Amino acid sequence: MTYTLTRADDDMAAATDRYPLGERRQVEDPVKQQLERNVFTGKLDEVLNSVVNWGRKNSLWPYNFGLSCCYVEMTTAFTSPHDIARFGSEVIRASPRQADFMVIAGTCFIKMAPVIQQLYDQMLEPKWVISMGSCANSGGMYDIYSVVQGVDKFLPVDVYVPGCPPRPEAFLQGLQLLQDSIQEERRPLSWVVGDQGVYRAKMPSQREKHRDRRIQVTELRSPSRL
Amino acid sequence: MSVASPTRGEAQNRSTRDPVLEALGKHLGAQVMIEQTTLTGMPVVWLPRERLLEALAFLKGLPEGFTMLFDLSAIDERLRSQRVDLPPADFTVFYHLVSLDRNRDLMLKVAIDEGDLSLPSCVSVFRNANWYEREVWDMFGIDFAGHPRLVRILMPPTWTGHPLRKDYPARATEFDPYTLTVAGQDTEQKALQFDPEAWGMQRERAGSEFMFLNLGPNHPSAHGAFRIVLQLDGEEIVDCVPDIGYHHRGAEKMAERQSWHSFIPYTDRVDYTGGVMNNLPYVLAVEKLAGIEVPDRVKVIRVMMAEMFRITSHLLFLGTYLQDLGAMTPVFFTFSDRQRAYKVIEGITGFRMHPAWYRIGGVAQDLPEGWQALVQEFLDWMPKRLREYQRAMMENAIVRERTRDIAAFSTAEALEWGVTGPNLRATGCNFDLRKQRPYSGYDQFDFEVPLGTRGDVFDRGQLRIEEMRQSVRIIQQCVDNMPPGDYKADHPLTTPPPRERMLQHIETLITHFLQVSWGPVLKPNESCQMVEATKGINSYYLTSDGNTTSYRTRIRTPSFPHLQQIPALMRRGFVPDLIAHLGSIDFVMADVDR
Repeated sequence: MTYTLTRADDDMAAATDRYPLGERRQVEDPVKQQLERNVFTGKLDEVLNSVVNWGRKNSLWPYNFGLSCCYVEMTTAFTSPHDIARFGSEVIRASPRQADFMVIAGTCFIKMAPVIQQLYDQMLEPKWVISMGSCANSGGMYDIYSVVQGVDKFLPVDVYVPGCPPRPEAFLQGLQLLQDSIQEERRPLSWVVGDQGVYRAKMPSQREKHRDRRIQVTELRSPSRL
Repeated sequence: MSVASPTRGEAQNRSTRDPVLEALGKHLGAQVMIEQTTLTGMPVVWLPRERLLEALAFLKGLPEGFTMLFDLSAIDERLRSQRVDLPPADFTVFYHLVSLDRNRDLMLKVAIDEGDLSLPSCVSVFRNANWYEREVWDMFGIDFAGHPRLVRILMPPTWTGHPLRKDYPARATEFDPYTLTVAGQDTEQKALQFDPEAWGMQRERAGSEFMFLNLGPNHPSAHGAFRIVLQLDGEEIVDCVPDIGYHHRGAEKMAERQSWHSFIPYTDRVDYTGGVMNNLPYVLAVEKLAGIEVPDRVKVIRVMMAEMFRITSHLLFLGTYLQDLGAMTPVFFTFSDRQRAYKVIEGITGFRMHPAWYRIGGVAQDLPEGWQALVQEFLDWMPKRLREYQRAMMENAIVRERTRDIAAFSTAEALEWGVTGPNLRATGCNFDLRKQRPYSGYDQFDFEVPLGTRGDVFDRGQLRIEEMRQSVRIIQQCVDNMPPGDYKADHPLTTPPPRERMLQHIETLITHFLQVSWGPVLKPNESCQMVEATKGINSYYLTSDGNTTSYRTRIRTPSFPHLQQIPALMRRGFVPDLIAHLGSIDFVMADVDR
């Protein structure tokens, strides 16, 4: 599995640097590299990573942040019929400092972008971003002067959820995909142990994964029947 | 058809018939007025700039006067080709006035020249003109002399250009791709910083310093990207300044680029909890322009789905309103009801929040087999839930104590600020467009208009529960009396045209192809349609220049004036009362900023 290594160097950012800050490059699994050096500590590292990641992915606290229509569907996912608590993410935080991930649920406006960046910066590591809905993914149907054409123009996005707006189920699936990716992540186990980069696994594309099954469909249900 | 304007002789004949125009003509001198014939359903009168304030004050002061400034915006006329008999103008500013007592409207228009883009501000006559004039300045760059603080309202303070001008590009992809640098972030953050002096605010009083609290643009009680800066003395709000524009999606500019037909999905997203309710004023206005009369079945289907969305929107309101007051549980109940409503909506339209299901001259498809049982199931479910909400929430002593007489305003104050919909009716004013100006066949339904008495936070919440009951009643009548017939009008401009007629011969195929790809061409004229939307009166004022797209689409949304009223209401109030008030307004930011 290939990983994207991000080294945080926010303190050293120059005024002309563009968001998202930090250097990114493709690398191999760092745990596997260590494995070659020493079998025992390598295995220990792998187990520790796995345990920590298991803990992290099952208690993701979302930041209560909404921009537009998608937020209504996101809230719907929080309420009883969809019940996000099944995935350990029901603890909505009103402060970015207490939250683990941020869902960009809605259109990212040029007027709002600096505010979103500020809120993202206030979140503590480890932190993740889900881009929910077409507007946040790419601008969607709003190719218009006031809208940023995709929140990834300045934020590092982990999962994209398509839809306008996506159904609550789609959001929950996005959350599960984020959990899968967190399970594979490599982060420093402590601020003194190991190298301090964040290694994000390159997860398989859902489109490619489901393509074969999707193209099997030959007949669509007629809308004239329920 | 010479639709754009009549000759002056005709206009003067008309004004002698109309008592209001006759009185205005007598006051100003009939020779300064030019009347324009439109399909807006109200008199449209052009006035010279110098006489504007005089005319506005006169109309407001009439017995049973035009006390509400319903809308104010502008049109960039420079590229308009079909302007027969209209006064020469580079830009036009229009003032849409409503008299509730007379139940009629009037529109005043003022032509201005590109070289002298200036008008007197009418804030002294209508207080709610403040934000509208700022919006016109922001979008068109028209100056209003005497405005208390003419600064940008929708675009960021660092913006250059005026987006609704015809020479301003619409697409983001016509500009350089957006980037945010560290320095840029710093500049933008500094620009967002609140400067009390700029708003004429003191920093201290009698030796004690005020606290300036920035609530938003992201705050759990602000219902989206809304910011309000509070000047606080302890817990007391001395003054506050709402800051909007964090949700401006350029819907009006978008309408100038999408075809008449392909703009429908954008209307869904204006009041994003209102779904197809938003399609209604738009398609009705387009149908007026096209001269389409829809079959009864279409009217009833439209009413049924619009009322379904009124219920889902009010349920969302009820849950969040009580949550803002501190009650955690209601939102879980109302959202599970919403889920049941969505089952119906999805079964019929195929989508949850934004079905974009209405079409010019009809709806997207006929009702599916077995729809009655589906709707009936929901109708049987709702009344007992509403009773439960009534008992558990509105009769709850804590809720009552918390909301009674909080942020109360009178009918007169409401009209002064352009407040409409449930918030207006909570003050006891009986003005519901479904009764007063029935559209889409609402006059055929039996329902009541619930009214409040005190116009406070409690009444605004209570009223919406009653409104849901009435909506349930209306939907029941739709189920019981759904007329047979076609789901589309038999008219050449109905879009998309009936598919059965497409493959008759090459001629029908070409017509079909053109209408689907380029869209229908509407004759040059203007039309306007208001509806009683979920949050208040929503109207679309369309100007066609005889093209496949709209020349100008003005979307008047109810939430914009509702937010403008906040400072007048909250001065000398407390912070928790502000939160209660925000919850009771029922706004979404897309409905404010469009």
